[in-house]
Amino acid sequence: MRTNQLKHDKLTGDDYLLELVAFLATSARGCLDEPPSYGPFRLIDALSRLTDLPKYAICLKDDEFLHKIKADIDEKKFSVMTNIEEFRIMLDSIVSQVTKQLKARAGA
Amino acid sequence: MIETILEAGRWAPTGSNLQPWKFIVIRNPTTIDLIRKLSPGYFGAAPQAIVICSDKATAYEKGGVMGRDYLTVADCSMAAENMLLAAHALGLGACPMKSFATAAIREVLEIPDGIEPELILIMGYPDEKPSPPPKYPLEEIAFLDRYGQVWPRSK
Repeated sequence: MRTNQLKHDKLTGDDYLLELVAFLATSARGCLDEPPSYGPFRLIDALSRLTDLPKYAICLKDDEFLHKIKADIDEKKFSVMTNIEEFRIMLDSIVSQVTKQLKARAGA
Repeated sequence: MIETILEAGRWAPTGSNLQPWKFIVIRNPTTIDLIRKLSPGYFGAAPQAIVICSDKATAYEKGGVMGRDYLTVADCSMAAENMLLAAHALGLGACPMKSFATAAIREVLEIPDGIEPELILIMGYPDEKPSPPPKYPLEEIAFLDRYGQVWPRSK
């Protein structure tokens, strides 16, 4: 939706970290009562949000890999409500990409 | 415009004419941002919201257990649907949201005991037209005369 209300460009790393904390805490509470599939949904949505941290925390480097997996997550994350198999495939793909990245960075 | 939407909610069907609802319009950008941060289900950047609360205490007083435990939810849902249709008719995009932390919303909006936030309608001018989600076909959910007798679709 169109808006001029959000002020994300003015956030500091500390602000954004607190926003993530709020998301995780409220998600944890929600997971007690919400449909079971919302658990993985909140986790992967949290990962998508976490990949934005380098935008606000200047001590972190911009990371192309994080941009890539964020795009992949955001493209498919809502399939949890309409097509659980598509959601599962997306999660498997993210896990696979993260694994390959870890291996590459470890020189394995 | 927002008053038209509120009126649509006010005129929703309600069991025993309980009208067990309170509507909180949120326009303050700081408050909207707080609600967004405390609601995992708040997607996008809708700049306005209406928090639909049920008045459990009054509903119990007037409607007993049924009023408090069932009609509040049913009536607030019917009010929400009326408001969503009104918003759509006015060219707004809107979405009902239940994935918020009740304790947090209560704290931010200073909601007193006995009043329960049930749904948050987030709304704004849409910049996209999302595809509708898949729905069960009528043959699976609609019956004629008795449960299980498939609804005969018109040709």
